[in-house]
Amino acid sequence: MRKTEPCLTRRDFIRGSVGATLAASLVTLPWKPERAHAAQQSLVSIVRDQDVMDAALKVDTSRLKTMVDKTVLQVSGKASVKDAWVAFVKPDDVVGLVPTPHLNPTHTELMDVVKKSLMEEAGVPEKNILDAQGGKRRPGKCSVLISMPALKGHWLTGIGTVIKNYIMYSGRPTRYHGEDSVKLGEIWQIPQVKGKTRLVIVDALHPLCDKGPQPDPRYKWAYNGLVGGTDPVAVETVCLKILNEKRHALRGEPWPISPPPICVEAADRVYGLGTSRLENIKIAASGWKEEILLG
Amino acid sequence: MMASNSKRIIFLAVLAFIAFFSQLSFADMKTQNIKLPHKIDTWTLSGPVRPINTGNIFEYMNGAGELYLGYGFNRLEVSEYRNGEENTILVEIYFMNTPDDAFGLLSMDWSGEHILLGNTHQKTAFPPRALYGGGLLRIWAGSIYARVMTFQETESAKAAILVLGQHIINDRGPTPMPALMNSFSEAAPQGWKLRRDRMGYFRSHLVLNSLYYLSHQNIFNLNLSAAAVTAPFERLSEDGNKERIQALLIEYATHQQALSGLERFHSAYLDDFQKEKPFKGQNGQIHYFQIEDGWLAYELHKTCLAVVFECPNQTIAGHVLGKINYPSK
Repeated sequence: MRKTEPCLTRRDFIRGSVGATLAASLVTLPWKPERAHAAQQSLVSIVRDQDVMDAALKVDTSRLKTMVDKTVLQVSGKASVKDAWVAFVKPDDVVGLVPTPHLNPTHTELMDVVKKSLMEEAGVPEKNILDAQGGKRRPGKCSVLISMPALKGHWLTGIGTVIKNYIMYSGRPTRYHGEDSVKLGEIWQIPQVKGKTRLVIVDALHPLCDKGPQPDPRYKWAYNGLVGGTDPVAVETVCLKILNEKRHALRGEPWPISPPPICVEAADRVYGLGTSRLENIKIAASGWKEEILLG
Repeated sequence: MMASNSKRIIFLAVLAFIAFFSQLSFADMKTQNIKLPHKIDTWTLSGPVRPINTGNIFEYMNGAGELYLGYGFNRLEVSEYRNGEENTILVEIYFMNTPDDAFGLLSMDWSGEHILLGNTHQKTAFPPRALYGGGLLRIWAGSIYARVMTFQETESAKAAILVLGQHIINDRGPTPMPALMNSFSEAAPQGWKLRRDRMGYFRSHLVLNSLYYLSHQNIFNLNLSAAAVTAPFERLSEDGNKERIQALLIEYATHQQALSGLERFHSAYLDDFQKEKPFKGQNGQIHYFQIEDGWLAYELHKTCLAVVFECPNQTIAGHVLGKINYPSK
């Protein structure tokens, strides 16, 4: 029976009616939704190196640089690192790097490696490479955004990695807590943001598999990886898989993230930002294979 | 003579009144102030205490602030200890409005090593007052909830963390856990076990969603005047798999609020089952519904609403609700 007032509940997840309820609850979109990505296959790269961090979690930047190089090669399909970077940015672009500032922050070493690569491989002047995390005016200064969140769960949105990484661009982040987290995808449609994200590189060196809300060292582990791609929803979907597999391994029984991260499915089915269907995602994994957590 | 005696009695009464309230005030101040040591072994207090209140909590911890505002939050004091340049210990002391609010924060996660702090408190099976794991110590002490944490767990850091925990818990006697937590003590059907280590105490639907997801919307009309517990029961099925049922008990401020909460829940969650008009909830009567994941039952009991989910049959659902010890007001 159709609900009189669309309200997403546990029963929608059991019935498989999440997409329909989401669509019904978000019927008044102020823009035309993007074309559905149902038939499209997206590539997600996972690069891992067991020795990228030492026992004290100190990052080996030389190994990290090799991981970043491999990531852009796998994502772009180009033969050289230079060609790979040029596929994402042009020398005259103003490039905004968007790290995670809170809870499980993006490693500064990763920011430095990417910045150096942009300068040396793509020829982007240092002055044109900005830290674009922050308020709603930040993305307007950039012609390209590279989203660089760290992998983590989030107690209000289930996962707080790729889709949520632009929450500050809304100017009113608290609007997207709780039930309205489903609308996080709309921030990617703001004119200053839309179409600018050429690359997503998730810092999965030391992820947080529980949702917080504050850091708990018991739920952080050395995954020693980078997850990359050009489809933000596909990257998020693979990240979600890694988190849920780790949670299962920790408890020895299914321990799904709660609340369910509906922003990921909505980003696909309502906002058309990419695919959240694992069957439509091709994973290119290289490097350390142990506990890769892909099921 | 009579007048003189009356004056004396009034005078003594006033003195007693002042003494009583001075003591209360002193006790409150004693409870609400914690002086941390400047130095512990090689660890030194770095900078002043950073005060956080409802006005700047989101600046300090972003969306995590919703958790604390979902309970009765008064203020937070943040301190940091450093061991040279190598390592830090973060101390967060949350001053909550009631011991129940502080308890609720600890109840979000019962895992970790049970740490005995203080000389006067006996180690009990449940609930523990301090839990440690991976470099994080979490404490419930009266109306205080505290997190003492390092990201680089070393022997030195752990020792300092436990000393700090001792300072925080000092002079705070044992506090009983919220009465609602005992409501399911006798409710486990035969062959089922109440998972006390998965029970959570809360007032906000955001916390409920974190413990047991029902809806992104506040379908029970939860707010700070309500209190609720989740209580999972488990058994091993014949094929060796774990089966789980989930009970929820909410105590509202009034019967009317309980009735409104139930009506909204019914409309949102059981929209395909017709409800009575006008909705009365029928106090003390159990209602059963067979849905996709098993049997669901609810009962309105004065100011309380109890719901049980995912039951394999109607009998088990009825057993759990029938054996609840409802709090008396």
